[in-house]
Amino acid sequence: MSDKKNNFEYEEFVESFNPRDDETPLCGVETAIHRGDAYQKATGAQKYVADLKFPDMIYARMIRAQVVRGKIKKITVPALPKGYYFITEKDIPEGGKNCLNMIASDWKCFAAGEVRFKGETIGLLCGPNREQLFELEKQIKIEYIEEEAATTIEEGLACKGGAFVNDNNIHCQLKLEMGDNVDEIFKTAPHVFEDTIETGYQEHLYLETNGMIVTKENNKYILYGSLQCPFYVRKSTYTLLNIPIEDVVVRQISTGGAFGGKEHFPDILAGPLLVAEHKIGKPIKLIFQREEDIEYSVKRHPSKIVFKTATDDEGNILAMDSIVYYNVGGYLASSYVVLQRGCFHIMGCYKFPSARTRGYGVATNCYPSCAFRGFGAPQAIFAIETHMSHLAKHFGIEPLQYKKKYLIKQGDTTITNGKVVEEVQCPKMIEQLTEASDYYRKAKEYGYGSYKGIGIAFYNHGGAFTGNGESAIIKGRVRLTKNANGTVDIFCGQTEMGQGINTALRKIAAVTLGIPMSKVNFNAPDTSIVPDSGPTAASRSTMVPGYLIEKAAIEMKERWNSEDSFSVERQYQHPEGYPWDQATFQGYAYLGYGWGCAIVEVEVDKRTSEVHIKGVWSSHDVGNCIDKRIVHGQVNGGIAQGIGWASTELIQNINGKFKEKSMSDYIVPTSMDIPEQKVFFANSPYEWGPYGAKGMGELVFNGVGAAYIDALSRAINRDISKIPVPSEYVCDHVLHGTNSCLIEEKK
Amino acid sequence: MGVNSYLPKTLKEALEIRKDHDTIILAGGSDLMVGAFRATGVTPEFDKDVVIIRNLPELKGIKKNEKGELEIGALTTSREIASNPDVPWILRQAAGKMGAVGLRNSATIGGNIANASPKGDTPGPEYLLDARVVVESLDRGEREIPVNEFVLKLKTVAIEKDEIITKIVLPYGDDDFDNFFYHKIGRRYANAISKLTLCSAIKFDGDVITDFRVATTACGVKTNRSRDVEKILIGKKRYEIPSLIDEVNAQYEALLTPRAMPEYRKYSTKCMISDFLMKVSNNTAEKFNE
Amino acid sequence: MDKRIEFTLNGKKVFVVTDPLNRLLDVIREHFGLTAAKEGCSEGECGACSVLLNGHLVTSCIIPMGAVDGQNVETLEGVRETELGKIIVDAYADGGAVQCGFCIPGMVMATYYLLMNNHNPTEEECRVGISGNICRCTGYDLIIKSMMLAAERARRILWA
Repeated sequence: MSDKKNNFEYEEFVESFNPRDDETPLCGVETAIHRGDAYQKATGAQKYVADLKFPDMIYARMIRAQVVRGKIKKITVPALPKGYYFITEKDIPEGGKNCLNMIASDWKCFAAGEVRFKGETIGLLCGPNREQLFELEKQIKIEYIEEEAATTIEEGLACKGGAFVNDNNIHCQLKLEMGDNVDEIFKTAPHVFEDTIETGYQEHLYLETNGMIVTKENNKYILYGSLQCPFYVRKSTYTLLNIPIEDVVVRQISTGGAFGGKEHFPDILAGPLLVAEHKIGKPIKLIFQREEDIEYSVKRHPSKIVFKTATDDEGNILAMDSIVYYNVGGYLASSYVVLQRGCFHIMGCYKFPSARTRGYGVATNCYPSCAFRGFGAPQAIFAIETHMSHLAKHFGIEPLQYKKKYLIKQGDTTITNGKVVEEVQCPKMIEQLTEASDYYRKAKEYGYGSYKGIGIAFYNHGGAFTGNGESAIIKGRVRLTKNANGTVDIFCGQTEMGQGINTALRKIAAVTLGIPMSKVNFNAPDTSIVPDSGPTAASRSTMVPGYLIEKAAIEMKERWNSEDSFSVERQYQHPEGYPWDQATFQGYAYLGYGWGCAIVEVEVDKRTSEVHIKGVWSSHDVGNCIDKRIVHGQVNGGIAQGIGWASTELIQNINGKFKEKSMSDYIVPTSMDIPEQKVFFANSPYEWGPYGAKGMGELVFNGVGAAYIDALSRAINRDISKIPVPSEYVCDHVLHGTNSCLIEEKK
Repeated sequence: MGVNSYLPKTLKEALEIRKDHDTIILAGGSDLMVGAFRATGVTPEFDKDVVIIRNLPELKGIKKNEKGELEIGALTTSREIASNPDVPWILRQAAGKMGAVGLRNSATIGGNIANASPKGDTPGPEYLLDARVVVESLDRGEREIPVNEFVLKLKTVAIEKDEIITKIVLPYGDDDFDNFFYHKIGRRYANAISKLTLCSAIKFDGDVITDFRVATTACGVKTNRSRDVEKILIGKKRYEIPSLIDEVNAQYEALLTPRAMPEYRKYSTKCMISDFLMKVSNNTAEKFNE
Repeated sequence: MDKRIEFTLNGKKVFVVTDPLNRLLDVIREHFGLTAAKEGCSEGECGACSVLLNGHLVTSCIIPMGAVDGQNVETLEGVRETELGKIIVDAYADGGAVQCGFCIPGMVMATYYLLMNNHNPTEEECRVGISGNICRCTGYDLIIKSMMLAAERARRILWA
């Protein structure tokens, strides 16, 4: 053995973990245990959709529109050999509707007549031999009448080429106000500043591309897919065939990463597959190649947020107005809800005397944007954090000191005129992280322009569906069944996509019932078996279904000894006394926020503008950790994705076409890009969550991008208002950037 | 449909195939297989017959020739180059920073020059060290071509239809210069294609510069090097360097023809050259600098 | 044109009649049914398809079958049966390295390759060892810790 020193603390790492299955109930929910899926996955035994084969299975390739905007003039299909099919809108049976029911139902299953963006589905080419499909695809000729397209927020708003949604290309909008009328304050305020912050597209880049297999069993359509929300797929597609919703059965297969990218998007595969199955009647497999998956799938919404902020001479904020634009793309789909969440988070972790925001979802001829970890909140949080840093710098106040003054507290009013219900742990996080990172010394020493920088950001994320959506819209139900042999089955629709929900939910049941983990089963959901417990989205799976499982397990425990086999079902009820009006967006938007603070330290190579990350410290309030190691892994992953979003993950939509199409073009962090993260918690238990736990999967993404940009801005003494910032953009800021991007309104 | 592929077991067999057929040579595959890929379960598409030479034993390994020059077999992988102490530091750096572990076990030095990509990792040091490419055919035996003449233009090299690259010869090594500089700017810190790479070396006799070289990759269709620019410093004294840096940079920049990010690539090149030369001038440079 | 390609797969002599340009990844997954190796990027970039070719880690999506003729291929299905392979799998499970799991077979192969060649890797060396394996879930930290854990256990059990 060599005498090389490594800093791995073996004992500490091993002791923070309890592998004894029978001891799980004694250890409580926090202690790390084996994930239920760890061995299957680490040995390579776990099957994903691409690994599945069915007898007589054929393959499909998706044929897509290749113009950015236009009309389909003519589709010429070559003579197809026996066993090959080209499925289009014409194959939808009578009574079926050519649409996918996401939150809105505007996204068509097959483009018919109009093409709104490059990559819109035209048809599905199906047949037994993949080589042959490839050759046939080349022979399909589609003629278009091309039209002038609008692809950026600005072009969308200007209705370039003519409006194609409403008469103004606005898919959706909303307005929120709290405090006094901001326009009145602007008239008399000593200073009014304008600041424009922009964020780019972000690709999910789950390691497993989208894939689905359709087949038929007993006259029902069965969809096996890599997906987050089996009930969403069912609801979205059954109207295509005009059949009862129960005749579409969705079975989730182990999902190789999703991050929101498999929340609604699997419908795009499921719809055409269902129509194809109706015609062909054989198992059909559709797996996206990586290039297809990058170029033709949903992404995080690009945003442009314009702040107008009134201050006094000392920099005290009197009022803040903002206009939030999200690039929604060709179809609305889920974007109104994304925009709402963005606007609800526009004040970040702060409270200002008066505030207003107006949000607009802009229609463009781009591939539609959709859910991505954070669901609209990260763009707003990046914007407010960056704007606050700009204001601090303008007034010569150290950014942490400036931000600290405005941190929201329990009982404070939010932008929807509800109150913050819980105790906000940000002050504790400041203590933890400034000490661990030596923030105050470094902030002073590095200052602005030393090519070293340290930055800080605060962030939150409202857990679960907005307001009373969980009880009014989702109506999630879970069921626990005790079997005669003493095992317990969990029935709910939550999906394991890597986040650890399978382990977390089983653990909640096992600990509550006081039985070993091995006695609690939870299989990947099948919509014909499990109750609809709502989507695996919105950071709700532990917080809401997990809570229902805890409640069901409490009842089950009481009846445990008196009954051999029985089931307990629970449905979510919104707590009394926290009203919400979905029509006016007024009231308590979220009862339980996750809170976070991140500090990032960077060093910039003066010669090459390369940014080296020297340290990342984060602290989060997740209520309680249902398995510390799973939560730790979520923090690490969310932070890496958040830094990627702000730094290297550039994906450019140029005139409606994505330029970066491969994993060598689209640059996500490797193991060499971010050093070991320091992870802290400052938990404040949530009254209506299992063991106090609240949502955390999205929270951990939301703010670190702003901390990174704060650190980088200080290092090069330039205000950075747009992400991502790969090194060539850093160089551009150094050479041509400004160290003061606030525009003061002339009185 | 479909092309023929040949699987020679020896160099002689491979040369016979090259003589008798119009073929594409497939070495490590890290570039050609990516280009030929169509879809899962579909045979990669080549427009000519393919001769797969990945495992030819004659073309592997690193040794010194009778003149003391280092000869690197064309199928030597980047990992083998990066981990061999006989290889000059600057080429070890380039090979060791190519892609990541798995790629470095496939990519070969011969393939890296044959694909004539301006973003290739190992050509930079080869240009800097006046490497020669050795090609062989059955009819004409071996011939040697200086690397800068071997690469004709983007994706085109001076190889005849019946030839195979057999080795790369390096006439210079670590002892031939006093200071070296190598810096690759990737789009991230591993597993990255070069955004810009600068290689440089300088040699003194006492205080007099007897040789100076600088080469840039990913900054035009070919690796950039010019003896005229290098001559600005050759024959000058160490203390004269600072006064000549601007001239070196101005003339060197005129060679650079990046298609994308022109300002970034030119500015970073200038900064790296200045930084290296200032350290050399101040006597604060290490033997090997990054 | 199909050819008969003979090679050693996880210690057994096997053959396949196939176009020598077909990818090793497709052949092991579809012909031999060994689906641990995953298709992630199809361009040698993400490492999900990693296997050992003559003892060296390679991305099987860019290896043509013609290059495998007469050579030795090991996949995770073989490696997981070895003593070191078992230690690595255990460490990944204990250390919380696994999330969605799609990159993990490649990660385990890269870890195996590293530890075969370096019994006492530093954190930095572990980071280099998996730098060709993209993971989108974990941020890598718990994978790195699990690699260190595997190395420590292998030193105690296998290499003492």
